[in-house]
Amino acid sequence: MGVRGTPEVGRAARRADRLARLRREGLAFRLLVGVIAAGVVGLLAALAAQLLGGALSSIDRFGLGFLSSSTWDVPDGIFGAWPAIAGTLLVSGLALLFAVPVALGVALFASEIAPRRLRSPLAYFVDLGAAVPSIVYGFWAVIVLVPFLGTTVEPGLAHLTGGGAPFSGATSGLDVLSASVILAIMIVPTIAALSREALRAVPQELREGALGLGATRWEATRLAVLGPAAPGIAGAVVLGLGRAIGETVAVSLVIGNVYQAPTSLFSHGSTIPSWLINGFVESSGLALSALLELSLLLLAISVAINVGARLLVRRWERAEVRGHRRRAARRAVPALAPSGTGSVTTPPWLARVTAGRASRLRRRKVVHALVAALVVGAVALAVWPLASLVETAVVSGGSAVVTPSFYTSTPPPACGIGVSHCPIGGIGPEIEGTFVMLGLAAVVALPAGILGGIYLSEYGRNRVGRLVGFAVDILIGVPTILFGVFVFTVFLRYDRWDDQSAFAAAVALGVIMVPIVMKAAELALQTVPASVREGALALGFPRHRVTVRVVLGSCRSALVTGSLLAVMRAAGETAAVVLTAGESIYWISDLRAPVGALAPFIFEALTVYSSPNYRTDAWGAALVLLLIMAVVSLAARLSVRGPGGNGAV
Amino acid sequence: MPVKLEVRELNAWYGDRQALYDVTVDLEDRATTAIIGPSGCGKSTFLRCLNRLHEETPGARATGRLLLDGDDLNASDVVLVRCRVGMVFQKPNPFPNMSVFENVAAGLRLLGVRRRDELDQGVAEALVHAGLWEEVADQLDAPGTSLSGGQQQRLCIARALAVRPEVLLMDEPCSALDPIATTKVENLLARLKTEYTVVVVTHNLAQAHRISDRTVFFYLGKVVEVGPTERLFSAPTEKLTENYVNGRFG
Repeated sequence: MGVRGTPEVGRAARRADRLARLRREGLAFRLLVGVIAAGVVGLLAALAAQLLGGALSSIDRFGLGFLSSSTWDVPDGIFGAWPAIAGTLLVSGLALLFAVPVALGVALFASEIAPRRLRSPLAYFVDLGAAVPSIVYGFWAVIVLVPFLGTTVEPGLAHLTGGGAPFSGATSGLDVLSASVILAIMIVPTIAALSREALRAVPQELREGALGLGATRWEATRLAVLGPAAPGIAGAVVLGLGRAIGETVAVSLVIGNVYQAPTSLFSHGSTIPSWLINGFVESSGLALSALLELSLLLLAISVAINVGARLLVRRWERAEVRGHRRRAARRAVPALAPSGTGSVTTPPWLARVTAGRASRLRRRKVVHALVAALVVGAVALAVWPLASLVETAVVSGGSAVVTPSFYTSTPPPACGIGVSHCPIGGIGPEIEGTFVMLGLAAVVALPAGILGGIYLSEYGRNRVGRLVGFAVDILIGVPTILFGVFVFTVFLRYDRWDDQSAFAAAVALGVIMVPIVMKAAELALQTVPASVREGALALGFPRHRVTVRVVLGSCRSALVTGSLLAVMRAAGETAAVVLTAGESIYWISDLRAPVGALAPFIFEALTVYSSPNYRTDAWGAALVLLLIMAVVSLAARLSVRGPGGNGAV
Repeated sequence: MPVKLEVRELNAWYGDRQALYDVTVDLEDRATTAIIGPSGCGKSTFLRCLNRLHEETPGARATGRLLLDGDDLNASDVVLVRCRVGMVFQKPNPFPNMSVFENVAAGLRLLGVRRRDELDQGVAEALVHAGLWEEVADQLDAPGTSLSGGQQQRLCIARALAVRPEVLLMDEPCSALDPIATTKVENLLARLKTEYTVVVVTHNLAQAHRISDRTVFFYLGKVVEVGPTERLFSAPTEKLTENYVNGRFG
């Protein structure tokens, strides 16, 4: 007995083999997701190091004086950051000031006031507003907003103060005010969508508790909803601020691009990102180093906002109770019978108040009506730009979009600066370029992002995981132009900007997508209940197989949604692509050559080419982008509702 | 006992689904009425109709007459209805961003009470009345949600009592509480009925028996039987009631 080769021994050996193989497989899987997670931290470090390294000669030369100096003198090599810093802070601060009340109104309407039937379409419209590429907002601003502000609003404001501060100077419309307004318009949907989710997350019992106490709708919102939702709303505002700080192309199209610290709301100006995109590609030497120091400052500001917001929200959540000192109430005790005895007496003041309920109610209802009117007004203010944008795109680009050749032919090649008439062309190469770059980026970024998300959700419940999660949050908030700067300085030689290529742009887009997909995947995986995991583990599946087969499977649609939204963000990306992809109006022949894409095409139609036909083509491109966004957000909304959806968006 | 609240031919729907059918009940003044019945029989819906909270549910509506001391509640403003008819919910729901004091003061502030001494007195009296004063007198500034579950529920009762409602509705007020906290709330109920008209929904028959003077038995959205609690439990007239109170279904 016990001889080698008996069936029992063979089976045991096979089982041991299988277990060892599974263990190796599990280790390998863990290593894979761990490496990707570490890569994200490395990416953040590399970004900071690259910017710092490039900025060293500028830091060396100008020291702290760089921050306060207002000169940008390329021939003499003297550079200072103050105009860009002042412009960035002023424009994004004003944008926040305009956007927050409107966004809160929209969120309150969508969550508390709107009739049920209106809520879903409104939510879709707001989400669409958050998805509209910034270049399309910028285009609309140039055509509609700037003339409107410059010829109607600004003269009125100047008249109001008699041309005094802050409304002094010529009213061109290409100024700080326009930049702030277009930024506000762009961040309202973001803030509104996230605030709405924060308000919706407040349990219905709390609203009913207030209503049951005799509160009007508005009073119930104030008493029971705003407080618990406040940290979420604060988070939404910070995200909006982050987006405003980093916004590049729309601002650069309307702010006037003059390097001066603004002295009036009608001043031309610059922000850090707008100055970067204007000068980066042509700069070299010390000027490039100074631009990289500006980039470093922008990174520092966005990190500081992110970290500051975390600390603030955490403190807030801890100490959110209204801290009234109420010791005085104890002095009333001796007059009262001990608990549980005695009968209810109604003090005279309370009897008086109770008797006056009905007449006081009239005043409370006026307050309610006022708030409701403000909220509806906010919705109108938020909807107008978006409606006008869609209308302009349809009117100006509709004829192009319905022409089949628009999708298959190239833009008219002879139409450069100064050419006034050229035939309507097409955007075939731009569509091709967009899809090729997105495809290249997505093939790498989506799997990497999902694996990284698996790390965060399944293996990252520890200190290292928190570090990775922190890096992901920071990276999501990093202005996209900085990724363009990063890829440009890492992969391309400064002196030959025809090294810009489809490949470089794909790398930049991939880097932008990974953290977004990671976050979405983590959230999606977190929605899978622990019982599902435990059920599979209890059957004897090893952990990595449970994760891949069971957990991933049960949040498929949320993963698809998250990936779609990340791809959508990348599809509309302009700043990073303009820096890395170069310009081309021809079909792709080489992935290492410059390439055209939809969003940069619109940017160039406004900045480089000026013929009216280019405008038509550009609006056509904008409309195509809008349609893609509309279809994708609709698909994303439907997929979370469908079977297997976990409602993670 | 005189009748405080007359309910006449009350029908309620959620969308197309009818939840209550022609409910006609008299609720007596200064007495506790228990509403019993199996899950889904409409007892919570009935309660939520009494302060018109039912109509806040999307797609929900109700018809019928509610007469509080002869005043038609459907003709009155809904805010005033809820001032007169207070409510305590199944799950304690103190406002999470308010202190114990502010939770109780919330209703008074809505009514326009601003003076410090009046608020202090009103809050203290309500807390005394809810039997919570001794336990929380030192932590009036603490978050309402930092109290234990039973204390939170009594805080919610104090919050409702502070504005002196005439009727107090309670929707399974003890179902989220442990036995000791339940006893405290039950004792409190026994005191409250000397001052208020109390209506309690409960799925706990023993509790209904202990705390109520009258009992209404609901089944499939209809009132099967109404009567003094003792009689309804010991000698029900309806076969259905007898089966239910003897635990033969539900």
